[in-house]
Amino acid sequence: MSASAAEATGTAQAPDTPRRTRTKIDKALIVNPIIAVVGLAAVFAYAAVQGLDDVERSVINAEELGRRLWEHLLLTGLSTLVVIVVAIPAGVALSRPGAGRVQRPVLAFAGFMQALPAFGVIVLLAFSPLGLGLPTAVVALAIAALLPVLTNTVVGLQQVDRALIEAARGIGMSARQTLFRVELPLATPVMVAGVRVALVLNVGTAALATYIGAGGLGEPIKGMLELGRPTGTLVAAAIVAALALIVDWLAGLAEYAVRRNAG
Amino acid sequence: MSDSGKPMIALEGISKTYPKAAAPAVQELNLEVPEGTISMFIGPSGCGKTTTLKMMNRLIEPTTGRILLDGEDVTTVNADELRRRIGYVIQQVGLFPHFTIADNIAVVPKILGWDRNRITARVDELLHLVGLEPKDYRDRYPRQLSGGQQQRIGVARGLAADPSVMLMDEPFGAIDPITRDRLQDEFLELQQQIAKTICFVTHDLSEAVKLGDRIAVFGPGGTLQQYDTPDNVLTHPANEFVGEFVGSGAAVRRLSLLELSRLELQSVGLDGTGERNGAPTYEADAEGRPVRWAYLPGTQARPKLVTVPHTGTVYDAVDVMLDSQTELVGVVDGEQRLQGALWWKDLVEGLKTKGQA
Repeated sequence: MSASAAEATGTAQAPDTPRRTRTKIDKALIVNPIIAVVGLAAVFAYAAVQGLDDVERSVINAEELGRRLWEHLLLTGLSTLVVIVVAIPAGVALSRPGAGRVQRPVLAFAGFMQALPAFGVIVLLAFSPLGLGLPTAVVALAIAALLPVLTNTVVGLQQVDRALIEAARGIGMSARQTLFRVELPLATPVMVAGVRVALVLNVGTAALATYIGAGGLGEPIKGMLELGRPTGTLVAAAIVAALALIVDWLAGLAEYAVRRNAG
Repeated sequence: MSDSGKPMIALEGISKTYPKAAAPAVQELNLEVPEGTISMFIGPSGCGKTTTLKMMNRLIEPTTGRILLDGEDVTTVNADELRRRIGYVIQQVGLFPHFTIADNIAVVPKILGWDRNRITARVDELLHLVGLEPKDYRDRYPRQLSGGQQQRIGVARGLAADPSVMLMDEPFGAIDPITRDRLQDEFLELQQQIAKTICFVTHDLSEAVKLGDRIAVFGPGGTLQQYDTPDNVLTHPANEFVGEFVGSGAAVRRLSLLELSRLELQSVGLDGTGERNGAPTYEADAEGRPVRWAYLPGTQARPKLVTVPHTGTVYDAVDVMLDSQTELVGVVDGEQRLQGALWWKDLVEGLKTKGQA
């Protein structure tokens, strides 16, 4: 066989394109971190002008906030990890040819769990054998954030071109090799988008973990509210908001990188 | 036809009935594909030709019957391992978009555990074989290639582990007609070198006639209606169904199967060298190449002398006659010497092949 330059440009299917068609960078990826930093700086400046009293200073200080921030990140990170460990294998299982009939009921059930208010789940689970504390909060957060990762895994795998799977099986790749080397790599961008949603949900909802004694940045917010300290409440709330924006930004960068690589 | 007669792939009493389906998709099929030959599967939609092809590598498991690969019963062996021994090329090509061209070709050799140097050498060899320069294409991605180039890579991937059998499911079906024609020509050249046993599904009778050593015509309910050489399918349809399927145009299609060198041609003589005996004579130049007709029996007209090479087919001769509006064409050998002539009326009255009484 001999290929000519005429054919390279002449056929209908695929004109020559540069290797990486530039994946458009989302404007939010540039704007969000700026809002987070500027907003946080503004709130800190306002607090400095207002001045904090002793009670506020006992909560709003670098050491205390650092500890709460760590707890908050731990809650977010662990619950997202649980989501990934549970939802991705479940999504893979649901998208296998044999699972056609259970797929809809399972997704409907996951949708139902998603509809439960996260606060309710957190409080309810505290009455379960898990009791109060971090593990309960992690489980509750994971339940509330399961759906986006589960659906995106199923959808991501479903949108892989059937012809690719047929070709893979036809040339002798096993079902397992096809899953790991063809299906999952091609579904990754969609799956990562789902993880990003779960992560951002978890950052926000983790602020409620304080009500079952699991700490986090909800702690200073709750404390300041109960003691009637609006400036302190504002500072603590602004930190959670900025954290959510920054986590979303980082996840967005990761998603962008994955999409670029997947082309 | 490099037909050794030994079947490389054989189906024995193969049937496929899908669950819940009333009628079988393929029924009691017996088919032998001799080593080194191309068998074309053709028939109307839903006649089981693709199902049959996919049962050969067990992408579809037969309900009953046996599949023999080079004499070995492969009906129940590990299907993944079986498929690594059989090349597979599909219409949608199915190149993995996240793999480079080299990685796409190397999939099966990698699974088989070949060492890196051997894989690299094999990839370059295959790229050369399908006419793509390895250093230009190795590291590209599928979407940077045209449809025709992608299918060349598809064929190269099918050949990667040097399987003795290739299964091809309408590989050129989605390609524009001009590129398809070229790919078919190159495919035949390639087959001259590699001599694989090939099963090829098509819905295009011209493609079947052009590429096939044999044509399997499938009919309703997944039954094999006729399995024979293209010439026989066109001239002696086994039954009404095949006759209708081959349909109008069969006679014209057959022209492209008949090589001029196989025909009993009208003899011709060089002008002034002897008796005419009613045969046409011509004038030649110093090298003996024909220049013009000197005498034609029964007519005073002196049409232009046009020629076709004897390696061409009757189809080419007709093409030349229509093109130059003459009733007579000279058939020349490799040195441009006139071997004989073919009249338009010979076509109508019936062509005689050599050895025929």
